[in-house]
Amino acid sequence: MTPRLPWARLPRLVTWILLTVVVIGPLYWVTISSFKDREEILRTTPTLIPTNPTLDNFRQLFTATDYPSYLTNSLVVALLTALFTVLVSFAAAYGLYRLRIPGGNKVAGLILVAYMIPGTLLLVPLYQSFAAVQLIDTRNALVIVNVAFTAPFCTWLLRGFFMAIPRDIDEAAAVDGAGPVRMMLRIVLPLLAPGIATVAVYAFVFSWTEFVFASQLVISDQLKTLPIGLSAIMGQYTVNWGLLMAGTVCTIIPAIVPFLFAGRYFVGGLTTGALK
Amino acid sequence: MRYGKFKRLTAVAAVSVLGLAAAACGGSSGSAGNDKTLVLWHMEQPPNRVQGFQQLIDAYNATDPEYQVQAQVQDWNQIYTKIAGAVQSQTQPDILFTIPDFTTYVRPLGEVRPVTSLVEELDQAHTFGEAAKAPYRDDDEYWAVPLFGMVQMLWYRADLLQAAGISEPPRTTAELLAAAERLSSGDQNGIALPAGRNLATDQVLYSLMLTTGAGDFFTESGEINFNTPETVRALTLYRDLLKFSPSDSGNYSWGEPQAAFNSGAAAMAIEKGQYLAPFEQESGRPASDLGCAPIPVAESGGQPGSIYYSNAAMVMSKDDEKAAGAEEFLRFVLQPENYGTLLNAEPGLFLPLTADGATAESWTSNEVVQKYRGCVEAMLKQSETGALFGFVDGQYVDSVGKISGQNVLAQVVQRMYSNGESPEAAAQWGEEQMRAAVAE
Repeated sequence: MTPRLPWARLPRLVTWILLTVVVIGPLYWVTISSFKDREEILRTTPTLIPTNPTLDNFRQLFTATDYPSYLTNSLVVALLTALFTVLVSFAAAYGLYRLRIPGGNKVAGLILVAYMIPGTLLLVPLYQSFAAVQLIDTRNALVIVNVAFTAPFCTWLLRGFFMAIPRDIDEAAAVDGAGPVRMMLRIVLPLLAPGIATVAVYAFVFSWTEFVFASQLVISDQLKTLPIGLSAIMGQYTVNWGLLMAGTVCTIIPAIVPFLFAGRYFVGGLTTGALK
Repeated sequence: MRYGKFKRLTAVAAVSVLGLAAAACGGSSGSAGNDKTLVLWHMEQPPNRVQGFQQLIDAYNATDPEYQVQAQVQDWNQIYTKIAGAVQSQTQPDILFTIPDFTTYVRPLGEVRPVTSLVEELDQAHTFGEAAKAPYRDDDEYWAVPLFGMVQMLWYRADLLQAAGISEPPRTTAELLAAAERLSSGDQNGIALPAGRNLATDQVLYSLMLTTGAGDFFTESGEINFNTPETVRALTLYRDLLKFSPSDSGNYSWGEPQAAFNSGAAAMAIEKGQYLAPFEQESGRPASDLGCAPIPVAESGGQPGSIYYSNAAMVMSKDDEKAAGAEEFLRFVLQPENYGTLLNAEPGLFLPLTADGATAESWTSNEVVQKYRGCVEAMLKQSETGALFGFVDGQYVDSVGKISGQNVLAQVVQRMYSNGESPEAAAQWGEEQMRAAVAE
């Protein structure tokens, strides 16, 4: 086999560099801007590195705004959404794709149809329903809504993972005397770890970035989530760009962290789901 | 995974769920508040404004009123659906901040109380300007208590005009166009104008429509009359000015023209008084470099003017006692010694609309107001010629909210800017859209 010439890799290398710049560039720009003062951010000749680095934007973010409260709310809502989505979608997917339930395929189809309904259509009816049960302006309302929107997709997402686990394992476990619940928890669940990670990351990020329902169902300042808080920093008529950049940086970080741990499962999970 | 380890993990997960669920249970009791709380919704979200309003509310609550006021900050972009849902579920606030066209949307929901006697009482005590009251009067009643005004001006960078050899700011639309052209060189643009589909574009275009004689696009009976030679003239001017605006103006709203102006990338802009407070910090230039002038007027057929927003408060309490409490709070706000606290939540942008408020020390002593006193006076003067579409010369067009809500004026600008449509065709399209919006 003749060794490949270095220039043969050039197109791939150029593409890789271009993609890196396109993807990482804005992230870099937002990050360094958060360390600039108000005058430097607006300079007509942009600086790639802050000439007078400052933490003022971050100080202002955590002292002059309710950002810590937004962060706490987002974390609570996103973690609960991820947990309940995992529970609901795992149980649903196990029943639909693992057990031989009459009409299971039709139910699975209906779940996907439910996922296709635009959420905004449900805004007013949901608001009225939540108001009737005293759930307006609570974090619970956001968790319920988020799980309602993530669970159908995640149930479908788990299908590929279930299909990847041979049924022979179930039969072997049944021969050893394992019942359906024990089989689900002791045999299938450990093998499904990548799928669970995928679902958890998806649900977390969905909740982390959800804006429409959070803006409608939460009224008091102390319960607002990050997307709502950031839009408030934008404000009407005036924009403090430094504050906005600092807020964006602090909002991006918690969304990136789950990917650092579960990113490979997530990508693999999507591929698995697509092929099976 | 061994079963024992799995069980421990499950236990940890269960405890986590319970802990988080307990945290999630924390929440308010909804927007209705308790029996002795008045819930106030306002849409002034920037941290400094939230703080300023809270300071005022704290001062009121410290007087130990029967009803304590609690502010809940909302988003202008969400408030239309939010208030509709709140009214339907009977969880509306007691006090809701508003602007004239938003009032036309909220009133039909059925929970807005007339405040005629209060407005008349406050008018006698403090003297409102006509532009402040008029947009809230309909069916022989006032529907909101005016609180503060906002007006647009032509802002210019005195240092850049001087460098270009322009000694005076433009006073006519022809001078404005000529100055924009002359000030455009290299990386510098003559003017920064918004051309996105948003309220910012609506507002700037409407200011120029007023000064070119196209400000009233409703007939006396409230019919649409947008496609006129005056409108075409205003649209032509806007299109021509956009040639000297930064190339990404199609995405501009409020923040971008101000950023271009403060950075020196644009020498002029048309906006409200929010340009005052951050100028020195963002531009790195002395305050004397920030100039302001009335919106330039057409050489013929034009008149002095600017878009003017009278911001007000509606009372939506479900019972009479709470409504009386809400009125008591609004009386407190307009007292000259308290009024400055409200206005200085955004000094320069929030303008007084009472005679004694304009001279109240609580407002005039503010550092920004003092530093830019000349511009502040000019804005107060400009306010006298202020107007808002749908409320021109005593009009009260019920359907104006449907037009402003869809940003039809901004869409007209976009058709010229992005699609290259002629002002005539854009004006015709605008008229059709407005008629369709009103007919819905």
